[in-house]
Amino acid sequence: MSTDNIHPLIGIRHLTESAYVLRMERRGLSFRAGQHILLGKAGSIHNREYSVYSGEKDDFFEVLIREVDEGLVSKQLKKSIPGDQLQLEGPLGFFTIEPELIASAKFLFVATGTGIAPFHSMAGSYPQLNYTLLHGVRCASEAYERSFYAPKRHRLCASAEKTGDFHGRVTDYLRRHPATADMHIYLCGNFDMIKEVFDILEQQGVPSEQVHAEVYF
Amino acid sequence: MGLRHAKTIATRRIHKRLKLMKYHIISLGCQMNQSDTERVKTVLHSMGYSPTDDEHEASILGVIACSVRQKAIDKVYSRIAKWNRLKNRKNLITFVSGCILPSDGEKFLKLFDLVFPMSELPDLPQMVSQYGIVTPSSLQFFSGEIVKPQPVTKDSGAQAGILQPVSIKGMPASLKLNPGVDIDRFWHVDPTYSSDFEAFIPIQNGCDKFCSFCAVPYTRGREVSRPSAEIIGELKQLVENGCKSITLLGQNVNSYGLDKKGQEVSFTELLRLVGQYGDASGHEFWVYFTSPHPRDMTDDVIEVIAQYRCLAKQIHLPVQSGDDHVLLRMNRKHSMEKYRHIMHTIRTLLPDATVFTDIIVGFTGETDEQFENTRKAMEVFKYNMAYIAQYSVRPGAASSRWEDDVPADVKKARYHILSQELLKHSLPFNRQLVGKTVRVLVRGNDRKQGYLSAHTEGRIVVRFAADDNSLIGQFIDLRITSATPLSVEGEMVAVDVEKLI
Repeated sequence: MSTDNIHPLIGIRHLTESAYVLRMERRGLSFRAGQHILLGKAGSIHNREYSVYSGEKDDFFEVLIREVDEGLVSKQLKKSIPGDQLQLEGPLGFFTIEPELIASAKFLFVATGTGIAPFHSMAGSYPQLNYTLLHGVRCASEAYERSFYAPKRHRLCASAEKTGDFHGRVTDYLRRHPATADMHIYLCGNFDMIKEVFDILEQQGVPSEQVHAEVYF
Repeated sequence: MGLRHAKTIATRRIHKRLKLMKYHIISLGCQMNQSDTERVKTVLHSMGYSPTDDEHEASILGVIACSVRQKAIDKVYSRIAKWNRLKNRKNLITFVSGCILPSDGEKFLKLFDLVFPMSELPDLPQMVSQYGIVTPSSLQFFSGEIVKPQPVTKDSGAQAGILQPVSIKGMPASLKLNPGVDIDRFWHVDPTYSSDFEAFIPIQNGCDKFCSFCAVPYTRGREVSRPSAEIIGELKQLVENGCKSITLLGQNVNSYGLDKKGQEVSFTELLRLVGQYGDASGHEFWVYFTSPHPRDMTDDVIEVIAQYRCLAKQIHLPVQSGDDHVLLRMNRKHSMEKYRHIMHTIRTLLPDATVFTDIIVGFTGETDEQFENTRKAMEVFKYNMAYIAQYSVRPGAASSRWEDDVPADVKKARYHILSQELLKHSLPFNRQLVGKTVRVLVRGNDRKQGYLSAHTEGRIVVRFAADDNSLIGQFIDLRITSATPLSVEGEMVAVDVEKLI
């Protein structure tokens, strides 16, 4: 077995009962914020796609994972301990920001659940980024590492309780606070949210070429 | 008994044994698998086996599997059950390779003697040898004795001399085991082309797109581009040997080179190299490619096709759905706006080009309105051919986790609506060919007695009355006399075998 794509686990950070962050040795792996990888236990034939959570310049490499009830890999990885060998393929994907836009454009990031991972990476990679992040969760305890983001940039939309900045879904927030045509909009999360946001943005006059989506299946 | 007589008897026995050494191979699925099978054949020939269509007389039985549909995988299970029953009666070896999901691979390990990824094909002689099977290539005379050569290993490129590859059609086919890794080693095996005048050249393996309905990223791995020098070398050799139609193959051909991060030419530049060779070669040939992904289809690809004669004016551009929401759910990573732009560029720069597509109807959650958007897209884009599939769950693909919620009768109805839509547009295109003289490549006998079948550059099927089989594999001119929605009929106006560009 080649060891080129083996990354030892440095640590595991449990954010909620089901969500956790795996920190691995970077081993020179380069990626662009927003890309994803295929990750599994070394030697296993099973792997899954996860967005990179850490920044482009971090010494380590992180992914944010939610344990899936009927899942296989997310359960296996949750049991990992520091020193375990993890196998990854990638980086992959096109959910990235054009370099020439980083310093000049206005961004709206819309995420549900662990769909926040690529935005965590983008915010960590580009300190000058002018963005607003809408994070859709059921309750505030699912606001994964909220303190990482500047308060003025982060809007927590909690649908099940009044603990966030906004009580309701991200789609409700967007209807009340319309996007503008000059925004570059990135959507990451479940398909139903993305589909609905697409329709809302269309009605609000945002050109479709400025809307980018990464669907979590 | 003298030494000479003993040798003669031994030789006869060996020849008898050699005659018995046959292989039977089943290739399922797409053109990539057909192309891979051509390389598998080279390795089997190098081991001294000859092909047979009768699995009962084969000593090696193999499947090149496809995981695109469950039906194709079911075929593998059914076939190996039969082959394992044959094992009760004779000594044989079974193998499976190709597109295999990890979960199926685990099961196949218990059913097949050998399970290997295509990248390990060069090791097949060693695998068979380790299985204890005597192969024709392992039987050699040395001072009147039969010796068994060492098996070929990953690091034993020099041992390629053991292998004496053969070619069915007389094309040079040698097994070169250059040191390298993974798929590169596979590409170094020369194919045993199944035709003298049509050939596939793999330019890329794997897929990074992760369309939700497709399992290929999990069976073939990540996109890897084959070195352009090898591609151009194979193309030149084919053309010099008289090949007339060449298809560059890959899961996403227009992502070619991206994985090499600037260390390899782009797909556009690869096409340009092909076009420049075409202009300089003095040979007439057509080069196609399949399949491109709309996400990576840039204007310059179309511009370069317009620029060079040998780059066929036929584009296969999968749309899959004409609805943005369905495209999102399919994780196609492009919008209809992008697709419309590509089609506009094709129609502007390549006005005579034919355009083929792939469409899936009844994808999970597809509403009547979303389907109607696909029908409208067909109306607008006026495809010459559409490969329309009714959605079925592909185990291992992301969409297999979703309910297949469009009823079968609805899928069937949508399939028929799109089929009718296709005919509405292909017929007028074919009719406008009537009375014109077109260049065609004669491909074989038509189903109709006394007729041959040919393709135009745009891959429109043409049949014409002729009983001269020597025309097969040649370019000729035909005058089109009548048209149907999916083919035309013509008559010969001239045979111009040696015509140069």
